[in-house]
Amino acid sequence: MSNDARTRGALRLFGVLAVAATVAATAGCSASGSSASSDGPVTLEFAQWWEPELPAGALRGIMDDFEAANPGIKVNLLSGPYASTKEQLFAGAAAGTMSDVVGLDGAWVSDFAKQGALADLTKLMSDAGYDDSQLASQIKVDGSTYMIPAVNFVYPLFTNDDLLAKAGVTAPPSTRTEFSNAAKAVTALGDNTSGWILPLSQEAPNGIQNDVMSWVWASGGSMLKDGKPDLTNSDVKSAVEFVQGMWKDGSIAPGSFTMKEQDKVEEFGNGRVGMMIDSLAHINLLRKNDPNLKFSISAIPAVDGFSGERGIPYASWGLGVSGSSAHPAEAFKLVQYLMSEKVNSELSTKANAFPGNTKSVPDFSGSDPLFKTAFDIYKKGYPANEFTGLPVAEELMRTFDTQFQSLLNGDQSVDDTLKNAQSQWESQF
Amino acid sequence: MTMTKRSRNRLLMKAGVILALIAGALFAGFPILWMLSSSFKSNGEIFEFPPRLLTEDFSFSAYISILTDPTKVRFFVNSYVVAIAVTLLTLVVAILAAYAFSRFEFRGKRIINVVIVSVQAVPPITLLIPYFGLVVVLGLYNTYPGLILTYMVFTLPYAIIMMTGYFNTLPRELDEAVRMDGAGSMTALWKVLVPIAVPGIVSVGIYTFMIAWNEYLFALTLTKTEDMRTVPIGIQLLMGQHSYQWNEIMAMSILGSIPVLILFLFFQRYFMGGLASGSVKS
Amino acid sequence: MTPTSVDRTRPGAGRLAKARRGSEPYAFILPTAVLLTVLMIVPIVMVIGYSFTNNVITNKHPQLVGLQNYLEILGDPVFHTAVINTTVFTLGSVAAHLVLGLAFAMLLNTPLLSRLTKALFRTIYILPWLFTAAVIAVLWRLLLSPNGVINYLLDSSGIGSGQIEWLSNPSLALGSVTFINIWAGYPFFMISLLAGLQGIPQDLYEAATVDGANGIQKFFSVTIPQLRPIIISMLLLDLIWTSQQFALIWMTTGGGPINVTEMLSTYTYKLAFSRYEFALASTSAVLVLALSMVLAVFYVRHQRARD
Repeated sequence: MSNDARTRGALRLFGVLAVAATVAATAGCSASGSSASSDGPVTLEFAQWWEPELPAGALRGIMDDFEAANPGIKVNLLSGPYASTKEQLFAGAAAGTMSDVVGLDGAWVSDFAKQGALADLTKLMSDAGYDDSQLASQIKVDGSTYMIPAVNFVYPLFTNDDLLAKAGVTAPPSTRTEFSNAAKAVTALGDNTSGWILPLSQEAPNGIQNDVMSWVWASGGSMLKDGKPDLTNSDVKSAVEFVQGMWKDGSIAPGSFTMKEQDKVEEFGNGRVGMMIDSLAHINLLRKNDPNLKFSISAIPAVDGFSGERGIPYASWGLGVSGSSAHPAEAFKLVQYLMSEKVNSELSTKANAFPGNTKSVPDFSGSDPLFKTAFDIYKKGYPANEFTGLPVAEELMRTFDTQFQSLLNGDQSVDDTLKNAQSQWESQF
Repeated sequence: MTMTKRSRNRLLMKAGVILALIAGALFAGFPILWMLSSSFKSNGEIFEFPPRLLTEDFSFSAYISILTDPTKVRFFVNSYVVAIAVTLLTLVVAILAAYAFSRFEFRGKRIINVVIVSVQAVPPITLLIPYFGLVVVLGLYNTYPGLILTYMVFTLPYAIIMMTGYFNTLPRELDEAVRMDGAGSMTALWKVLVPIAVPGIVSVGIYTFMIAWNEYLFALTLTKTEDMRTVPIGIQLLMGQHSYQWNEIMAMSILGSIPVLILFLFFQRYFMGGLASGSVKS
Repeated sequence: MTPTSVDRTRPGAGRLAKARRGSEPYAFILPTAVLLTVLMIVPIVMVIGYSFTNNVITNKHPQLVGLQNYLEILGDPVFHTAVINTTVFTLGSVAAHLVLGLAFAMLLNTPLLSRLTKALFRTIYILPWLFTAAVIAVLWRLLLSPNGVINYLLDSSGIGSGQIEWLSNPSLALGSVTFINIWAGYPFFMISLLAGLQGIPQDLYEAATVDGANGIQKFFSVTIPQLRPIIISMLLLDLIWTSQQFALIWMTTGGGPINVTEMLSTYTYKLAFSRYEFALASTSAVLVLALSMVLAVFYVRHQRARD
């Protein structure tokens, strides 16, 4: 056999591989891409992390209703793990394959909008003749709306009734002094119990938003001034000093520096923690894990003598439309449908959250009585989350987190902490 | 007298080795034992203090809920398809390349070697965005071939390095004799070298299978619909925004590890032999 | 086949190899070359290109800025911390992988136990290798949590006391993640070395026994020299693999507390997906690549020396 023939042998094998790859590529072309041909029905892709969080089949059911109400539009639900959603959206946006409708977190909006990945909803709303007065909030970047919060998860104070009673605390604390005294009393019970729990993991630094800055907002304070960072003001300083005081008292459960929200709720659920600031979404989980656990919900304590409205932290499931969608009008129809009074009530009831439509009222009939209590707290205060819509919001939380951990570790003073965080934040604006 | 002393020494050594092996087995196996135990608990019990290895509420519910969910079963099927295809294709391509590296001298051999070794060093997370764009352009997004070719890129460097080492241990006369008789290189390779190299091929194959089975980041990025997702994504889907399904995470991991364990047990004898000749005798 | 057949230095071999120079070897590496070029070299070249621009992806009109990104990264104190942590983490992991892998391989190679017993232990010892990094991270977070089972065992056995913060205490965290990585990675060494031990000819040990060597002397004069080639290849590959470990660290500590477990991998990730500075992230990746190229050259040299 000649050298040539041998080479041909090798080449033939490669040829087989190449053909296989080509076939695969062709198959791939037909499999990907959401947009159907112009005269066929439109298929929308809706990428979110909500489906696995909701009761099985709940979101698909709502989509089926939407399809029935809008013949000619089909919805394809694409679900991914929450922790990786941001990277996936980003990669999708960079490659122009972002789904038509996307689930968003307020912390990402500014960056996606700047990337040009999101459609301007202000324009889509006016094109559709949509009346936006019923929307509880809209997340704007440079004056245009890019995200509409569909449902909001508020973060009130959870207290373990039995532990507090054992420690001689009769009612949930409503001021910072009461809170730190109650925390001290619960910690003094011994047996691995702690008064409060503070998740500061840098992997998911939203503890800075929900468990630290929430103290600022609950007393009517702000971490911004004219939309710019203002971390050295007295409200932020007093809240940071307050948390540092709790830390020095030893009232905070161990493991803070790497703790995540998911760990926090398990510690509370096992009766090792007296108080936590937490999402209402956890009520059902706590009930399911231990039906005998007695706990209450109240507003986050404010500075002593505060009588104003209390900001209550929240996290949203937001809706956005892809900037590269071939069917922006149909995509907006889906957004509109999800925001409509009845559907939004249904979605919020199923998610154990509060509606993004001001007219919608969640159905409390089948749910835990604590939801009603929480709804009253929510109505009395105002939703506060200053990170929503900020540029690189997660990075802001993370840099603050790093500085804050240094403070708690005794490496620097409160003033230095806030000064360092302020200068790091300023460089991002 | 000396005999009893020797046999006593032997007994003492044996006891020492067994003790050391048990200590090592605790280090290696205890976390896995705990994983297994957690997979039978309810979510609340996993965080109980003091922790218990067995609870009275011992339950298979986590396993049942995974195995009765067609979506999750599909994840397993996808993982099998992808991992098996990657393993077979990687082996074919790596055997060809390793043959060239082992039996031929050619211009650029050294540079190609440096490239093959160092491409595995680029942090995959930085490649994610350009890579994803490329896969979309090639029309491989959300397809089996997309995943399969991607994993081949990850597994080929190691597979080639190992296979080259293995071929180097086989006497050149074997294939040269065949070629002298007029047969081509392909015959020499596939009819002579490959059959002898089976142990080495098995060892590389198992390693390749494990990489393809456990990969998460690219599996997630390069697929979008549930019918294309693999087991590691299924596990990650149980880690929710607000809470984790701890027991199901553990159960699904245990289920996912079983095929690799079976492969390992099945090929254990070859595996040992394969690596031995591949890595030492050259 | 005769015993001399393994001798590749005989005169005929060089002539034959020369005669086969031509297009044939290229055909054999063609599939590999095409795959790696299209799917690996192209993205890597793009990443290298990104590293010379002011920013990409979030920036519609990237401009070339020369070496500015390199100066910025090399001057960033957090980068220096990451380099130091990565070095400690990698050297610690690799050294322990080797020691543990060798120790377990020696134990499993003992003639004192039956094949079945050894097979049982071999199966247990391989277990840590079977799980995806995310699960290893979740599992160890559970085990090492202040109220976790490890603290409980230490406490009730009187060795340690109370709620030790293995992952969240800044002075323990780096050690803890290194320990987890050691646990997760030693089986690879163990299996390879075990295989290597099977390949050592018995007559070498017999000769050493005749010379009056004891067990320890035999280990250092026969076992180690015989395993040397495989140990060196494994060390180099493990150095490359460990230095880019991401998921394990990210999902246990996120680079914290403060920045005591910040690695090059987490640092690069944060640049890309927390700050959206893809040009800087690419720069960091290119620096890692350059470092690994040095290792790769060593590796290839070593491979050639073995041929």
